[in-house]
Amino acid sequence: MHVVIINGSPRVQKYSNTEKIIAAFAKGLSEKDVTFETYAVSNRSTWDRIRDAYLKNDEILIALPLYVECVPGLLLEFLETLPRKDEQTRLSFILQSGFAEGCQLRCGEAFLEKLPEYLGVRYGGCLVKGDNFGIRLLEEEKQAQATKPYQAMGRLFAEGDGFFREEAEKFTGPESFSLPMRLLMGLIFKTLARKMFQKAAASWGCRVPLDEKVWETGR
Amino acid sequence: MVLLIDTTTEHIGTTIEDELLRSGKHAAGFERIDTTGMRISHCVGCNDCWLKTPGVCAIRDDYEPVLRKMSAADQVWLISDTHFGFVSWQTKNIVDRVMPIVTMYLKFKDGQMRHVMRYDHQPDIGIIYTGDGDQAYLERWCQRTALNLGSRSLGVFSERRGKEAVSCML
Repeated sequence: MHVVIINGSPRVQKYSNTEKIIAAFAKGLSEKDVTFETYAVSNRSTWDRIRDAYLKNDEILIALPLYVECVPGLLLEFLETLPRKDEQTRLSFILQSGFAEGCQLRCGEAFLEKLPEYLGVRYGGCLVKGDNFGIRLLEEEKQAQATKPYQAMGRLFAEGDGFFREEAEKFTGPESFSLPMRLLMGLIFKTLARKMFQKAAASWGCRVPLDEKVWETGR
Repeated sequence: MVLLIDTTTEHIGTTIEDELLRSGKHAAGFERIDTTGMRISHCVGCNDCWLKTPGVCAIRDDYEPVLRKMSAADQVWLISDTHFGFVSWQTKNIVDRVMPIVTMYLKFKDGQMRHVMRYDHQPDIGIIYTGDGDQAYLERWCQRTALNLGSRSLGVFSERRGKEAVSCML
């Protein structure tokens, strides 16, 4: 098997969480002797090459972050440039998001489920996973730790059943959190998390509160 | 205030505007923005509007005035062509870039994680589309999008049902 992996994130590759997820996933592919080539739609100058790889190969995987309940605008623009292909081609997806619960990604997944039909190709399933926002804020070693579970999904994908196996379905984790968990997390959101976000912001050079009402204060 | 944001190639927003004027339902005020010729980039996901310059987008193009109007409006109607049954990338870019009116902070609402909104007032969202849109999916997406903004979906209408959409305007 040879997989064309397209990073559908509009963020530059260096800071892309999706890129780190792809790296871990591809490691899993390699362990099973599956070869791959990777592309990123964030670099518009490579779109002709991506389209070429899409047309010449029959195992395509698009990994993308959820942007407002669906595909990011830039990826949507790229997808509109793809010509129709045939059923020999299989198109699979890794859909990742910041929000942690599985239910947050289902609207995006529903779009991806139907997309292959519009493109004339076969659907290979969608690996769905939230809670990835923080990856870019972690140190390199911790980034590798956070994305390691995707390596096992690479190995699973190499077995040829796309993301239709039970292991891929389970990978999403909980659809939603229980009430006690929500109460606990809600408390953390109001206290510790705010401090952590403000600290991260300070390291980015931010000197104002993160919830500042910029336009009302006329700044 | 009702804000119409038209990204369609046929500029069907003008027809909707005519209908709105005819209906006499424009007392609360409305504005139509046709994005043709405007420089509106896609969101690049830099997170600056959350973590570096809260509330301010790092991309200096023609979008900020649009977002200010969206933030102040009671209703935002996205007038869009459709591809893959979904809104066009031009409309999706406009929606993706609302992040400056959303903060990094989180909360639980109705059992799900949501971001805390930056401002107290949120616009309701509706869609008017051309072409072969997937009505059921667009409704689902519009509802989910409104949910994320702490507002309501005004509904999804094909171009043919423009009159019906206008009847839902303030």
